[in-house]
Amino acid sequence: MFFKLVFKNVTKSMRDYTIYFLTLLFGVCLFYMFNSIDAQTSLLKLSEDRRDLSQTLIRTMDYISVFISVVLGFLVVYANGFLMKRRKHELGVYMVLGMPKSKISILITLETFLIGMVSLAAGLVLGVFASQGMSVVTARLFEADMTSFRFIFSQSAFRKTLLYFGIIFLVVILFNVLSVSRVKLISLLNAGRKNQKFHIRRLWVSVLVFLLSVACLAAAYRMVIKSGLSSSTPWFTASIVLGCAGTLLFFLSLSGLLLRAVQSNRKLYFRNLNMFVLRQFHSKINTTFVSVSVICLMLFFTISALSVGIGVSGSLSADLKETTPFDASLEYFYHAYDADKQIRSLAQQLKNDGIDLDRYAERCGQVTCYVLTNGKENNIGIGSLMCKDDAGQLPEEQMDAMPLTVISLSDCNRLLSLQGKPPVSLGKSQYAVFCNYQKLMPLYNRFLRRGGSFSYGGKTLVPARDTILEEALLDMSTKSNSGTLIVPDSFLRLPGVEIESEILNIQYRQDVSDAEFLQVLDHVYTKEARARHAVSRPYDYYNTKVGLYRRASGNAAIGSYLTLYVGLVFLIAAAAVLALQQLSEASDNTERYGLLRRLGAEDTMVNHALFLQIALYFLLPLLLAVVHSAVGIHVATSELNLSGLDVRQSSFITAIIILVVYGAYFLATYFGSKNMIRQKEIYRR
Amino acid sequence: MEPILKVEHMEKYYGSRGSVTKAVDDISFEVRAGEFVGIMGASGSGKTTLLNCLSTIDAVTAGHIYLEERDITCLKSGQLSAFRRRKLGFIFQDFNLLDTLTAYENIALALTIVRTPASEIDVRVRQVAKELEIGDILEKYPYEISGGQKQRVACARAIVTKPTLILADEPTGALDSKSSRMLLESLETLNKNLLATILMVTHDAFTASYCRRILFLRDGKIFNEIVRGDNTRKQFFSRIIEVQTLLGGDNSNVL
Repeated sequence: MFFKLVFKNVTKSMRDYTIYFLTLLFGVCLFYMFNSIDAQTSLLKLSEDRRDLSQTLIRTMDYISVFISVVLGFLVVYANGFLMKRRKHELGVYMVLGMPKSKISILITLETFLIGMVSLAAGLVLGVFASQGMSVVTARLFEADMTSFRFIFSQSAFRKTLLYFGIIFLVVILFNVLSVSRVKLISLLNAGRKNQKFHIRRLWVSVLVFLLSVACLAAAYRMVIKSGLSSSTPWFTASIVLGCAGTLLFFLSLSGLLLRAVQSNRKLYFRNLNMFVLRQFHSKINTTFVSVSVICLMLFFTISALSVGIGVSGSLSADLKETTPFDASLEYFYHAYDADKQIRSLAQQLKNDGIDLDRYAERCGQVTCYVLTNGKENNIGIGSLMCKDDAGQLPEEQMDAMPLTVISLSDCNRLLSLQGKPPVSLGKSQYAVFCNYQKLMPLYNRFLRRGGSFSYGGKTLVPARDTILEEALLDMSTKSNSGTLIVPDSFLRLPGVEIESEILNIQYRQDVSDAEFLQVLDHVYTKEARARHAVSRPYDYYNTKVGLYRRASGNAAIGSYLTLYVGLVFLIAAAAVLALQQLSEASDNTERYGLLRRLGAEDTMVNHALFLQIALYFLLPLLLAVVHSAVGIHVATSELNLSGLDVRQSSFITAIIILVVYGAYFLATYFGSKNMIRQKEIYRR
Repeated sequence: MEPILKVEHMEKYYGSRGSVTKAVDDISFEVRAGEFVGIMGASGSGKTTLLNCLSTIDAVTAGHIYLEERDITCLKSGQLSAFRRRKLGFIFQDFNLLDTLTAYENIALALTIVRTPASEIDVRVRQVAKELEIGDILEKYPYEISGGQKQRVACARAIVTKPTLILADEPTGALDSKSSRMLLESLETLNKNLLATILMVTHDAFTASYCRRILFLRDGKIFNEIVRGDNTRKQFFSRIIEVQTLLGGDNSNVL
């Protein structure tokens, strides 16, 4: 009989709280899916760099999963609290019938255990199947061929899911037992009848709090726009604190203000059931504004993370077109111990080591980079090519002290012709500037337009053109040339000009692939040989166009995976909490909506009111979150300094994800509540 | 005067073929406009079932109910709610005020449901409130006012839409004697001054003594009917007690 009761209760709860179980199910499913990446990749034949990438991803996933499990844990404990509240009366009946508290505790424990087992099992089954589909995506992500389909089962993910969710359910059981042991019978039986007091704040208090919240938010937005995302300044922390406070105050005052605002328009207030809906909303926001605020912040995180996360992956490859003008670039930095700082030909050195560049390169060109010493520790900085009053405009403090790279006009034109671009011509005492770092470009341009001159070693140069040239010296992953000075060749013979590095840019022959060339390099300069000092590379590192593209896509893929994981969990958690709140309120509302029906309100009128009430709860946090996100995305994109970063497309994708998941929860809540109201009505007959 | 409510051979059965409970068994009666009618009977006599059928919350098994010559047993569900909100006013035992709304808004709610223009609402709410002497508590919430005041707000809500018939289900059931008296006096005023037609279900003789006419139900049938006529309330009260004694007695004692 006891077990029969347990089973009946569980099936009944499952029917009443479909949303809770679906959320648990999806939580488990997502958790397993994203943790099974190790198994998904282990079956793939990966190149070395891809293997590294997958290891990074797996390791990051480990950390994130701890965080995710905490979030899900909170969600489950919170949702369970709702379930228990709803069942207070039922527990009271058990106690009246003489069931001892210990037995009720066992009953609840068994129920929770059963619910946990069912959702865990169902979630894992779903997760195992979903991860098969995901492995195809993963394979494409790591550019591995899925030659044959193999069923993948990740033992570690399975164990991890069991462990984490086991702990979560254990905590839930503890909570439940504790709450059972502390209750009083009278309060259980009277649970349905509660005299809730509604603190209606005075209008001016609401207005004041609202204005305060708007001020907080405005200040937070301003701070974060000005200071950016660097957590080193106190402004960033302050903006987060202010933003949270502003959000809390916003929801605290909003319902009151909304109520008063609509009340002042009597026509609107007394139309249909608007009065009822607003009062409903207002009566609960006083107790739920904290959770609504948290939900708003979670949505904010989800929206900005998804928009930026997905957007970055697109932008990286868009930027790469411009930052990788060459098929390969080798760079060598002169060291302090390099005795003779004379120009060395990298091509010649490669040839000496048995690599004939002509066999691989259609064309190649070497650029020698110099710095200008000024007798002090720091060399001449890029600030000498900027107006003095622009120092405050620099993206980072004291960036103007960053050493200025100098190259000769002939090197510059070799670089340009290698890309098939027209050459630059300079007069005897003229200079030009290369830069493609977005934030510095306007600063150089202003200096050039004003005809700012550059003096060094007794020589003065004037600008040959009034704009900079958006050029890179070598293949890079981002637009990071912070400024290169182009000078007539003779200028570099001045004393104090010091050679810094050599760059060799290569355009492959048509029949040579990137892999082929790199293989030759690796073959000659093997790790073992270098360890034995048998050979030394004439370069410190190389970037190749293909390599940069692959690395970018890999990083972007990791980013997308992680943001998708965290974003989805947050989104589901936020939507589930809202949905559960509304559903548990629906039982209170049954009385009220039933009364409306008895007073003669039509079904459409009542349903409309219910829809409006739930829509208010779902929409308001979303709206504020969208505003937060707009600011957040703006700051993040300007911070990332990716010219090709277009968040429009990724925001669109995010909007669709939100619409589908959040919308589904909204509709489920609406129809669930509608059914609950209808059921009670029929039952009453 | 024309009867505004006419009940003809109304029956309401519960249960399936095996065991049928005749909650209301062939009842016929009429209520004229401006009447204050009481329906009395012990628990299980069919009072509430009768009221539910009259208020269209429940459907009859057989028979007809005419309200202003319209047979409400033939209405479709869409018409039912329209009928309910236009023609009927309800007063419940447990007030059934919305705790989230002020007294004023609770009264106005009934008007918004029948889509009264906003400009009219204020006038009508204040008028009714004045009549029921609750003008000074209109801005209070239900939890801030006494039971008697709550029930008078509920009365105001029932009357404000100017319904053809007010159905009151044990309106004094949750009130103390003083509040009960005040409420019943209010109902009397509504009946006399605003010519409201009231049908009140109660099992309490004192409450019933405020009515002009009383129908006694027993086991789903009308057992007796008494009219107050020129009697004082006290005399009428004694007569009610007499009938109740009869009702409570055995069948053999009935005339």
